[in-house]
Amino acid sequence: MSRESLELMQGTLDVLVLRTLAWGPNHGYGISKWIRDRTEGALEVQDAALYQALRRMEARGWIEAEWGLSETNRRARYYSLTAQGRLQLRTEASTWRRYVEAVFKVLDPTPGEAP
Amino acid sequence: MSAGRPFRRLFHFPWRSREQIRTDVDEEIRFHLDMRVEELVRRGHSASEARGIARREFGDLDEARSTLRLVDDTGERRSRRAQWWDALRQDTRFALRGYARSPVFTVAALATLALGIGANTAIFSVVDAVLIRPAPFPDPDRLVVVWETDRNSGTSHEPASVPDFVDFRERSSRFASLAGFIPRETSFLPDDGEAVRLPALAVSDGFTETLGIQPILGRTFTVEETEGTAPEGVLIGEALWERRFGRDPTVLGRTLRLDEGVYPVLGVLPRGADFGLLQLLSVADYGRSFADGGEGVQVEVWLPLQTRTSPASRESHPMFVVGRLAEGASLDAAQGEMSTIAAELERQYTANTARGVYLEPLMEVVVGPVRPALLLLLGAVALVLLIACANVTNLLLARGAARSREVAVRAALGAGKGRLARQFVVESLVLALAAAALGVALAFGGLELLLLLAPSDLPRLSEAGVSLRALGLTLLVSVGVGVAFGVLPGLQARPNDLQSALRSGGTGAGRSRGRRGAQSMLVVGEVGLAVLLLIGSGLVMKSLWRIIQVDPGFQTERVLKADYQLPAARYPSAIANWPNWSEIQGFNTLLLERAESLPGVESVAIAGVHPLSAGFTNSFVVVGREAESADWPEISIRQVSPDYFSTVGVPLLEGRLPREGDGTTAEPVLVINQAAAERFFTDQLPLGRKIAFWGTPRTIVGVVGNERFMGVTQDAPPAVYLALAQAPATSGSLLIRTTGSPEALAGMVRSMVAEIDPTLAVFGVEALGETLSRSLGARRFTALLLGLFAALALTLAIVGVHGVLNYSVAQRTREIGIRMAMGASRGSVTGMVLGQGMRLIILGVSMGLVGAWLLSRLLRGLLFGVSATDPAVFAGVAGLLVLVALLASWLPARRATRVDPMVALRTE
Repeated sequence: MSRESLELMQGTLDVLVLRTLAWGPNHGYGISKWIRDRTEGALEVQDAALYQALRRMEARGWIEAEWGLSETNRRARYYSLTAQGRLQLRTEASTWRRYVEAVFKVLDPTPGEAP
Repeated sequence: MSAGRPFRRLFHFPWRSREQIRTDVDEEIRFHLDMRVEELVRRGHSASEARGIARREFGDLDEARSTLRLVDDTGERRSRRAQWWDALRQDTRFALRGYARSPVFTVAALATLALGIGANTAIFSVVDAVLIRPAPFPDPDRLVVVWETDRNSGTSHEPASVPDFVDFRERSSRFASLAGFIPRETSFLPDDGEAVRLPALAVSDGFTETLGIQPILGRTFTVEETEGTAPEGVLIGEALWERRFGRDPTVLGRTLRLDEGVYPVLGVLPRGADFGLLQLLSVADYGRSFADGGEGVQVEVWLPLQTRTSPASRESHPMFVVGRLAEGASLDAAQGEMSTIAAELERQYTANTARGVYLEPLMEVVVGPVRPALLLLLGAVALVLLIACANVTNLLLARGAARSREVAVRAALGAGKGRLARQFVVESLVLALAAAALGVALAFGGLELLLLLAPSDLPRLSEAGVSLRALGLTLLVSVGVGVAFGVLPGLQARPNDLQSALRSGGTGAGRSRGRRGAQSMLVVGEVGLAVLLLIGSGLVMKSLWRIIQVDPGFQTERVLKADYQLPAARYPSAIANWPNWSEIQGFNTLLLERAESLPGVESVAIAGVHPLSAGFTNSFVVVGREAESADWPEISIRQVSPDYFSTVGVPLLEGRLPREGDGTTAEPVLVINQAAAERFFTDQLPLGRKIAFWGTPRTIVGVVGNERFMGVTQDAPPAVYLALAQAPATSGSLLIRTTGSPEALAGMVRSMVAEIDPTLAVFGVEALGETLSRSLGARRFTALLLGLFAALALTLAIVGVHGVLNYSVAQRTREIGIRMAMGASRGSVTGMVLGQGMRLIILGVSMGLVGAWLLSRLLRGLLFGVSATDPAVFAGVAGLLVLVALLASWLPARRATRVDPMVALRTE
């Protein structure tokens, strides 16, 4: 880890978790690992915060939890997206895209050309 | 985005305990750490290094654990609650659908329960207002009424003399304070229009303080005012303030024209300041004043009594005395002390010979007389509710039977015992609460009706509203009933006999016998309770009938009554001049003259008090038998004009009546009533003897029949009638016998009096029959309500009998079919069903008769001229029930004979 990790921006974690679960049900460790692998450790996600986010989204009805067996045959708590969660992912993802595009338009020295 | 959505998944889980959640959270975190450590070890870290990294990545472990536990705990609880509500909604919806499907059952059950609950709430509201709600005074239980007693006459409820009151107050120490008052009729002349009569109290100092009345405006009397050393003012009641002054606070600066005097208004006393007063006055042996005066009387004006300045004798007893017991003083201690004081007074003054003191708690005086009747009504209406509940339970049982298949199916589909029982409880609760809502609506109507019918002498009735307490009780009862109902069919519905229920196709043959047993017991109970109620109301009604049959000794038909009070300022009544009160004599002559010339008048009389007023008593002697007379009770003294006896139809038994010639210059005469003749003249003829009181001997010239002027249910006490011209009175009652309807004359009488004296207040203008019937108001009220409840009970019980027989016939269709196929005649089938009904009825009736006999003691005090175990009433009620029940069994019996054996056999 040569590069310094980036602090996570407010609300970012939710969309990352939702996106991860869009692949299919997963347990907390799986979600954490997936995010870490995809970002190559660029984002610093505290696991405690991740679990709290899971609880929060559960209460909002975006995800559901169920006990199941892991790949190693251990009892694990699996989370999966609800229909409501899928909808939430779609809106949040598009919000993020528009946000990032807008920021790039300002940062890019030659307007009109996307990097 | 329904809120229910996130919880639904949780139905898959059994509920998690707090401990379970704790281990779940721990396990989830441990799993995470283990997996991460494993991964790091795979990448070449040492085990301890890997553990360190994993923990660092996780953050604060302990905090995370406790946060997650907390979140899960709350979530769990919230979803549990949500599921509970969800299930309740489901059950309620299901119950409503069920009720909608069987409208006949629903209407019957609702109506039955609502009637029971409504009647209960209405009656309880009245009982609450009259008996339970505390008096509007602080510590009303410390207030006692101080009566004087007279060992000679045997009276125990006499007002005191003013000097006695002053002595009581000075010598006693067990009272925090004692106060006295004298009821008075005053004539109030408003600036605009006619004079009206206002009931007033002349009060001693400390009156408002003793009772604990606070003025709502202004102040009460000062000691100087009540002693008569300061100018007089008056206090007015809230009702008068509202009626005459529109609650204008500037009334304090204004004056009131009362009895020719003009008095400044000093303060306003709240409604309820005259609490219990009418009851107090009406138990007095005499001096009841306006308590005999008619409907809706309340005290409107309080005047200072001025005990110091007004001369008062120990012979006259106008003063009602109320005391507040001192801190720590008991009623017994106060009674002991007052008896000692009375004995001292007896030694000191001859006028106090044979006089004692009797203390009675004020609340006892006020509610004592009505308590038995009200509690009886409350008991009766509670029985009605019981019967209603039994009936509804019966309906539910029958319905439960019809539903046993449905229950079995639901049980087979996995509904747990708890779930099913809960469904039944919810169903019953829905029914009970709906009935309670309807019942409360009924109670509002019923209470209106009660207030309309209630006798005016029921204390504090004006305060009665559907009380919160009554509402609470209703809710409690209906919920209790609901749960009770829920348990029975719920028990029935236990799916342990699931297969047989499914197989038997819904009639639940296996259990129907037990169920029928339960239903039969309920019907027997209902019939028993109905008998109890019918006998109670039968006895009370028979008493009322007996009372109506009583000859009061006078005739009320076609007699109009009008009362008046002559104000002292214009009609001087100095004791020294009596009986030569020329203004009053002149007024009497003119009044009789004018009244006689009214159209449709047969005869006219003036009496000191009307024939249903107790009037007053005095001690007396028979001239020549003075020694003997000393031990005699006082005698009632009534002043009447010559035509009194013909006007109210009192017969002359011996001698002659007072006549026109019996004036102030003639020999003083009187007539006595039969009771006096029998009591005092057993061995000598009364005619020609002389009776002396007030210093004048009067010759007995005649004996007349007894008038029951103490009330129809009381024998007439000994009385003398003086010729009005020889013994004028400052107040009177004009009595007119008419040829047509007496009410038609009322308006003319008012305007006639106004012509003679425009400022004179006339009151109590009504047919004498009205006065008589009102004096029976409380009994009529009790009898009417009891009758109503009994009728309700009878109807419900009969519906119950009918229902259970009908159900039984339906259940036994197959059996009846077989019997008929085997050659049983229609007659024998009818007999079988009727016999089954009769067994229930006879059992119920017998239980009711025994119960009524056992409870007869409670009723005794409310009856008149009827024994509490009157055989005619007992037999009549039993006969009535058997007859009506026979009719109720007839329909199911006929239905049984219509069973077609072939159809009956084929259906199963």
